Amino acid sequence: MRGEAVEVRIAGSAVRAYGDESLAAATLASGGRILSRSLKYHRPRTFFCFEGHCSGCLVRIGGVPNLRACQAPCSAGAEVEGQNAFPSAEIDLLGAVDFLFSRGMDHHTLMTGSSVLNKLANKVVRQLSGLGKLPDVAAAELPDVHRFDVDVCVIGGGPAGLAAATTTSRGGRSTVLVDDQLRPGGSLRADPRQGRQLAETRWGEAVQAGVTVLARSTAIGFFPEDDGGVLAVSAPDRLYRIYARQWIWATGGYVVNLPFPDNDRPGVLAARAVGRLLVDHGILAGDKICIVEDKGLESDVVALADALSGAGADVTRIPLADVSGTRGRGWTTAVDTKRGKLDCDLVAVAAIPAPASEGPRQQGCTVVLDEAAGGFRVVTNELGQTSATNVWACGDVTGYRGAAASAADGARVAQNLLEARR
Amino acid sequence: MPGKIVLCRCEDVTLSDIEHSVSRGYRDIEEVKRYTGFGTGPCQGKECLAVVALQLAQITKQNPSAIPPFTSRPPLAPTPLKLLAKDPGAHRFPDDLGDDEGEA
Amino acid sequence: MQGAIDDEDDESRADVSGEIRLPATLEGTTGPVPASAEIVIVGGGVIGLSIAYHLAKRGLTDVVVVERGYLAEGASGRNGGGVRQQWSTEINIRLMQESVELCRRFAVDLGVNVWFRQGGYLFLARNANEVARLEKNIALQNRCGVHTRMLEPKAALDIVPELNLDGVVGASYNPSDGILFPWPFLWGYARQAAAYGVRIFTQTPVGGLEPIEGGGYVVHTPRGAVRARRVINATGAWSPKLAEMIGVKVPTWPIRHEICSSEPLKPFLRPMVSELASGLYCSQSMRGEIVGGVSLPGHGSTYGMGSTLEFLATYARRLVRLMPVLGDIKILRQWAGPYDQSPDGNPILGAAPGHPDFFLACGFVGHGFMMAPIIGKLYAEWLTGSEPHEIFGRSQLARFTDGSGAQHAKEDFNIG
Repeated sequence: MRGEAVEVRIAGSAVRAYGDESLAAATLASGGRILSRSLKYHRPRTFFCFEGHCSGCLVRIGGVPNLRACQAPCSAGAEVEGQNAFPSAEIDLLGAVDFLFSRGMDHHTLMTGSSVLNKLANKVVRQLSGLGKLPDVAAAELPDVHRFDVDVCVIGGGPAGLAAATTTSRGGRSTVLVDDQLRPGGSLRADPRQGRQLAETRWGEAVQAGVTVLARSTAIGFFPEDDGGVLAVSAPDRLYRIYARQWIWATGGYVVNLPFPDNDRPGVLAARAVGRLLVDHGILAGDKICIVEDKGLESDVVALADALSGAGADVTRIPLADVSGTRGRGWTTAVDTKRGKLDCDLVAVAAIPAPASEGPRQQGCTVVLDEAAGGFRVVTNELGQTSATNVWACGDVTGYRGAAASAADGARVAQNLLEARR
Repeated sequence: MPGKIVLCRCEDVTLSDIEHSVSRGYRDIEEVKRYTGFGTGPCQGKECLAVVALQLAQITKQNPSAIPPFTSRPPLAPTPLKLLAKDPGAHRFPDDLGDDEGEA
Repeated sequence: MQGAIDDEDDESRADVSGEIRLPATLEGTTGPVPASAEIVIVGGGVIGLSIAYHLAKRGLTDVVVVERGYLAEGASGRNGGGVRQQWSTEINIRLMQESVELCRRFAVDLGVNVWFRQGGYLFLARNANEVARLEKNIALQNRCGVHTRMLEPKAALDIVPELNLDGVVGASYNPSDGILFPWPFLWGYARQAAAYGVRIFTQTPVGGLEPIEGGGYVVHTPRGAVRARRVINATGAWSPKLAEMIGVKVPTWPIRHEICSSEPLKPFLRPMVSELASGLYCSQSMRGEIVGGVSLPGHGSTYGMGSTLEFLATYARRLVRLMPVLGDIKILRQWAGPYDQSPDGNPILGAAPGHPDFFLACGFVGHGFMMAPIIGKLYAEWLTGSEPHEIFGRSQLARFTDGSGAQHAKEDFNIG
């Protein structure tokens, strides 16, 4: 456990948590399970990715709706409430909607038979719409926007981004690095073969090398028409404008779910999230863990399975093709497979992460859908240059390769940037 | 009763919804997005775009490389209005107060 | 349960109108276009599809619609879904009264939900000139039977309690104005038109238009050529480009308007709120998102639909000032679409001079979507033999060259 002990309130109960953890980790560690209900069928919803990219852990914190619990730090007195559920996320009355429409519901044609029914449908849909409620009070005033003018801007502080930024800064280029997680390190913090200490070390090296590291900072868009082209970056209480001569996208990949029946049940987490909880937080998320795996991730899965067993869990691995469903009221209690029902208290989905390429796409980079790469990977030449001028890309965003290979790739591409003619 | 195969967690879009969209002739990824709602929720496709695009390639019997992503738009993550309101690039209208800081 | 569907068999998705086994709505993207058609409609946006549906409903089913991209790619897929009767000219008010009625009936008539919600439109004035403008228009609206009323600022708080009234000196409110979700209009029109036999082709751009001796045109596309007795140019902001192919000059130009949408929130905002001083507007969609925009001068004439930080900043600044409790609300996505600007702010309808078989339907300056239901119906009535509605005479393209345009009142409420 890291950070000082603090007390937070989750769904009305006091919970002991640690300052460097996220509210999601604290919730899970204290036995919290379901946080909200989904938009259409009111299916139970809770954490899935633990990286701030899916919508599983949206909660109300301090009177502000739709915040990701996995990106909110445990500060003393933080107050977390569920959303879109009544009377509680566990026993939501509207959960019946999911059973009524067990075969699905085509909202396009629902109740279009008569105007009386249709008026009613419209009223009901409106009342049920939305996730969080309006905030309780107006937001406080914020400081002005801060601008950075640098030689190199690196987006993404995982193994590739940290290596790239450290390289360019040591090479004499002023460098700013933007990372959206609570603490930089990316997949280093989720991989048992890498680890939290390594993440802290690489982060420290970057800072030592002179990189300006902006943590909890998300690149929200590259705007070519504004002021000659600017990258806007949002931090919890501040907006940044970054102007750079060269850009390096090292945003990695998003963990994704796999397609099997009832794959969205609480208790089905991304395998990398299970790894992150263990490696970064020291939390073993289940005692009887079933890893559902897709092709192409053998070594990652083996490393995770070993680490989980080492921590005391009973681990089973199943190929995706053998899975026919999940079971459990609320949290998962079993997986249905070709070989019969498999009891478990956690499902870890191991799928190739999808390259996080929306940012590069906005900057004009060509991408291509590639199954082995996990999704829409950024296309680069042998040096690491994308199709957009002065824009480079490295690591998993160019196609999944894993933490170790990404670090090497980041250093390599950054070196090419240093040697390229201006 | 087989359970729902949820491809888009934010909007509860299932594999069956994608197949239905294609059967109606809405096969372009932009049309599938609009018709089913996939990718239009809080995650804006981070969890689902790749999965749906790969399924679409299978369903329409195309090579994955033939399927483009839907348009990427800012902001790349949900961003509070209070932050955006501080950007110096905001256009000032004639009735704007002269003094920016500390206005109502 | 109405609307429930069967996973195993797509075609048995029965809706309660009793129609089952509807064919696919859009043609496959690999087949050829037919060799001929009575009418070819170029442009598969809401105007084109509304016309197609109404023509087919009146028995004229030999219609082909060609859309160059995907359905909803143009302005029809990019607008904020506002539907209002608060206009400054009698003809627009009356047309919109009819359109509102068509919107109310759409879901049942066409079997697709469009989530039309009549929560009203609230316009806010920040100076005496704006108040005078509102009052003048309200008098006309009331005479037409639209129940808009002026409000003291405090009364606006009853409708939108989240408002910050600093600087607001007056407001107008019409409770029967509303908001809809634009995309399903296209699916609804397309579905019914296709059921009647209209053929709709997407990813089918028109590469050339060739007049035929004696009347009609050959419409050239990558999927073949269609001999059309009549062609309707429903390409919205791109109308000048199509018209150019036969030497017709359409004097409209595109103005980019940006728009954005927030995360989904539980319902709280009843009307569309708009501030005259900045063109700011916002409303809450049926999904709970706050959808809105603001007028940015200097955005210029462009077909480009990129997004700017300037828009986000301007919108955020005005909106947080107007409704401070929205400060912590998050924007999920911004996009843009073209307003189709005409020289006098009025639309261009009817046949082009010298081209009695080539019809126009553009220049709606950002309110084409809300007009489409009624315009489609009126166009179809005229093209199937009825006397043309007065809007067609007033909206002739010829007015820009023969001076007749000056006699008609200019619409002054072409706001976002």
